[in-house]
Amino acid sequence: MNAQITAALLGLALAGSILYLVRRDHLHGPYALWWLIVAAATLVLGFVPRTIDWLAHLSGIAYPPVLPIIIGLSLILLRLLQLDIERSRQERQIRRLNQKLAILEEELTSLRRSVATRSDSGNRPA
Amino acid sequence: MSNQQIGSCPCLAVIPARNEQDTVGEVVRGVMAALDCAVLVINDASTDDTAAAAAQAGATVITLPFQLGAWGATQAGMRYALRNRHERVITLDADGQHHPDQLPRLLRAHMDGGSDVTIGICPERLSAAKRLAWAYFRLITGLTVTDFTSGLRVYGRRAIRALASREASLIDYQDIGVLILLRRKSLRIAEAPTVMSARRNGGSRIFSSWFTVARYMVATTVLSIARVGARERRRRATEVSAQ
Repeated sequence: MNAQITAALLGLALAGSILYLVRRDHLHGPYALWWLIVAAATLVLGFVPRTIDWLAHLSGIAYPPVLPIIIGLSLILLRLLQLDIERSRQERQIRRLNQKLAILEEELTSLRRSVATRSDSGNRPA
Repeated sequence: MSNQQIGSCPCLAVIPARNEQDTVGEVVRGVMAALDCAVLVINDASTDDTAAAAAQAGATVITLPFQLGAWGATQAGMRYALRNRHERVITLDADGQHHPDQLPRLLRAHMDGGSDVTIGICPERLSAAKRLAWAYFRLITGLTVTDFTSGLRVYGRRAIRALASREASLIDYQDIGVLILLRRKSLRIAEAPTVMSARRNGGSRIFSSWFTVARYMVATTVLSIARVGARERRRRATEVSAQ
């Protein structure tokens, strides 16, 4: 019974902090959805640990306690993979932004200079 | 120098430079003397006076907000060339190892050869370690190139377009990844012998320490293996979205 309370408390704490973060807008769009699902899962598993036995029975796993570990680990791996894909995409965008910014900056400078030389006043800072 | 002037010039010399204030000015003047073309120096977030030295020598200078490395800087030059409608891009290093007086010869070899990329090579200059490394890369990439890392290259219009694309933005080193991409686009790569001298200040960036060599070899091997068999799969139309 004690273990049951611990599990429920852990699930509650995790789900609570995720909900708090989502509500405070610290998680962006699709990430919020993912974490809400995780929060719901921890709540269910924390309060109804029997779910695991039932799932293990369904999937034919003889030792139910390894099931959450397997599922958890695979989800973490998938999530890491997805994060690296996302990071690569952002890296590409950042590099291209960097280059575009540099090119536009040069264009702006040379345009300003040609405007300054064309204007009669001449003493306007370029 | 205004953009209109540059835009009318068919050829653009692209010189990526990071902390090369002692040599970049001389290189820029040399290129301008050797070829009647616009010179673009991409200042890869230098911490010294590279930009000022290059501008003083008469080059157009693009300053990257933060460091991208040699290829990122060169690609900025490619995008600039595409934007300003240059027909050809000549890249060379800012450290003075490539002699500007070799450029007309290289350019002629490029025009006569009709290839999309012409690499200026200097076979005598390759060390035993480099020869071994290049033999290994020839084996795993299937590319028939003598010197993979030579920064002295002439790119034609199609190559510029391919290399300015988003696809080329995640390349980390300017050599093999670039060549593999070009081959995938079915572009022709040729080589022309040139004369080069040893770097005046400091050694090669890649061949500086065993750790960097190892990292470079691993990264390039992974890249080569990942790209095995990856040839022109996508439509040519993707090239249009470059820039």
